[in-house]
Amino acid sequence: MTMAGREHGAAVPNGGALAAFLAAGIGALGLGLVVFLNELGVFEVPAIYGPSGGVTGRTAVGVVIWLVAWGVLHSRWKDRRMESSGPFATALILIAVGFVLCFPPVWHLF
Amino acid sequence: MDIALFSYNSILTMLHGLGSGGGALLTLFASLFALWTMRTDGAVDAVVERRSRNLRWLMVLAALLVWGAVLGGTYLVFPAYRATPPEGATNLAAYPRSLIQSDARTAWLHSFAMEIKEHVPWIAAMLATAAAFVGVRYKSMLLSDRGINRMATIAVTICLVLAACAGLLGVLVNKVAPVQ
Repeated sequence: MTMAGREHGAAVPNGGALAAFLAAGIGALGLGLVVFLNELGVFEVPAIYGPSGGVTGRTAVGVVIWLVAWGVLHSRWKDRRMESSGPFATALILIAVGFVLCFPPVWHLF
Repeated sequence: MDIALFSYNSILTMLHGLGSGGGALLTLFASLFALWTMRTDGAVDAVVERRSRNLRWLMVLAALLVWGAVLGGTYLVFPAYRATPPEGATNLAAYPRSLIQSDARTAWLHSFAMEIKEHVPWIAAMLATAAAFVGVRYKSMLLSDRGINRMATIAVTICLVLAACAGLLGVLVNKVAPVQ
């Protein structure tokens, strides 16, 4: 059954939406960790476009993490009806943590 | 390619900030307004179908504009911003990063503002994509399903805040040390 056909049903799978938002949270956390560890000097992701420098490598890694997470979650959840509050709250927390890890004053605490 | 007063790099910067960035802010705000004001209590009629169709394409446009701003900023504008001046250069006007780092009063524009602009907008781009995907996949449920509407509304709100902060910081940086 297509999503359009399900719209008026009682139990429409919402897993695709939850997968998309949770993957964005995982991508944000991944990007934040890469940036944070780079700033701490733990490791350095090489640039993929020299004139722009290391930011291109760091963000590329974040995007790959996001897309892989989205692909995996979508394939598992797309046909499921789930309680949305848990996964969505987790996504918001991951986004917040990812943001904090990209926040320069935090780098200087360590 | 220089046109009258504007260099190639300054034109790219305007397209990045005013075109993609400004367009993203407009479309994100319009999406948020529609998500908030056009939601229904579960009823789906022809009006809701039409509104949700328009809204989901608006959200797709918003995501494309956010990505345009992020990619354009990173790959087209940033190289001109971080250009290294030649040894012994005294006029740093053509080297924005070096210019703002040369003065303690403006150094924060790089160490804080530009560092945020380098990374945080990518989070907004991921989230805008997720919201647009949900709009395309769930169609009129975007307005009629309370849970889907709430998640999309929160996601677009976060996107809008992140994009607005990045835009404001970009204005401050470009005001002090415009890309030339």
